[in-house]
Amino acid sequence: MADSLDSDLFRRIQDRVAVVGIGHLPYAKDIGRPIGDTAVEAIQLALDDAGLEAEDVDGMSMLEMEATHEVSIARRLGVRQLTWWDKISYGGGASSATIMHAAAAIASGMATTVVCHRARNRGAKTSRPWSQERGVVRDDKALHTPWGLIRPVDVIGMWAHRHMHQYGTTREHLGNVAIAARKHANRNPDAMMRDRPLDMATYLAARVIGYPLHLFDCCLETDGALACVVTSVERARDLRQKPVLVHSVAQASGPNPVHLANYNNSPEMDTTAVWCAKLLWERSQLGPSDMDCAQIYDAFTPLVVMGLEDYGFCKRGEGGPFTEGGRIELGGALPVLTSGGGLSEAYVHGFNLLLEGVRQIRGTSTNQVPDCKATLVTGASGVATSAVVFRGE
Amino acid sequence: MRFITEEHLHPEYPLPDVDDPIMAPFWNGARDGKLMQQRDRQTGAMHWPPKPLYWKDGNRLEWIQAKGTGIIHTYVVAHAPFLPALTHLLPHIMVVVELTEGPRIVGHMVDTKPEQMRFGLPVQVVFKRLTDRVTLPIWEPARS
Repeated sequence: MADSLDSDLFRRIQDRVAVVGIGHLPYAKDIGRPIGDTAVEAIQLALDDAGLEAEDVDGMSMLEMEATHEVSIARRLGVRQLTWWDKISYGGGASSATIMHAAAAIASGMATTVVCHRARNRGAKTSRPWSQERGVVRDDKALHTPWGLIRPVDVIGMWAHRHMHQYGTTREHLGNVAIAARKHANRNPDAMMRDRPLDMATYLAARVIGYPLHLFDCCLETDGALACVVTSVERARDLRQKPVLVHSVAQASGPNPVHLANYNNSPEMDTTAVWCAKLLWERSQLGPSDMDCAQIYDAFTPLVVMGLEDYGFCKRGEGGPFTEGGRIELGGALPVLTSGGGLSEAYVHGFNLLLEGVRQIRGTSTNQVPDCKATLVTGASGVATSAVVFRGE
Repeated sequence: MRFITEEHLHPEYPLPDVDDPIMAPFWNGARDGKLMQQRDRQTGAMHWPPKPLYWKDGNRLEWIQAKGTGIIHTYVVAHAPFLPALTHLLPHIMVVVELTEGPRIVGHMVDTKPEQMRFGLPVQVVFKRLTDRVTLPIWEPARS
């Protein structure tokens, strides 16, 4: 038995902490107000969903990148006092970790009810972090940025192209991911791409952004604000919604980490998801075959193909063929990105994947997997990452 | 050893911090036309990114001049929109080179067309002077 399973803390987290509320503002290209405002609104929606008041909140967890301010949000919500808060780094690697950290805080008694949120205004072209790179670059960035390797599409493209070369993964395989996400988005009234169908011919004809990746391999750029409420299972049973249990959690940087251009962590040039998955399943009573659907972080389509392998749904190199025959669409063996994901619902550092995971366990998704008992939600696998398994009671 | 010079350095070019104490031997070497890599003199293991000198086994670390050769492990070809400082290079071929010594390092190609690229292509280093202090190791197909 792994050491991590012996840990009293993990025993106290597993199925003992629950997500009890979710909420988000309408996704937009221009939401029209700062993230300090939208964060408050999204958290209030999640509290309303849970049937909780701001006075019940004593913890707060968020992403470190483009962060908002805890005490300002707390004051504007009407929180009595925060006793625990936390900002988690590495952008899309962090969303699932907000749940892990909240669960650890609750299980260890440092907080009773934690709100996790992501508010981000990235719809404007000028808001892209890579386009703001100038001047002297230091530390990890000096290992790749001086050669021009800074756009995420290129950083991830390195893994994608190697995967295509080594395993015969095709553009059509990547297209299957884009089309599955789009089909799900077309049935999700909240999705940015709800009215925009996508077929393989259109996918293949799109302009190149960073070869081998093309336009529809890339996620959207969205303004969004999302939140969820986490508390103990005992409290959850008195609340409005069916509790969604936090079953397993993990965070992993992988060995020899470099932020972004992490190409020396193993002979195979694995992504960080390999190490995160190992911890996640070691700590879990469930395995990949128990997942009724999966929300695999999708800033770019190849992350889903590689994620299917990294999280154990298929063997190394089989992620491409796994996408064939509708297997990852609703009605298939493993529906993936059932809200449309970052590719077609909204790109908000994967926080929308958490909300969709919760909906699937509640049974309220617009692409509901019948009798969904467990689902996986992962973070960005190109960077230090995180993942969570949700299950029903 | 082939040197080229960036004639029109963009004022916003993302230059590396060549005074970083861990990376300085790499950048100083590049300025002198040497591709430097870090090695554990006891085990022979190569370290990239380099380990700090205050690493627990830091006294075993040494910098060696790599051959300046390798093969293309993977690559991408960037199209617009791109960093303003490098837009004149589009379509820009960025590479992960597996050095003959083992480590994989990021770089970009010079005088190479996308259709010349392939996995496993042997490459050799070229040094591109950006400023008096900054020289960037870049790559071209190896001349056999």
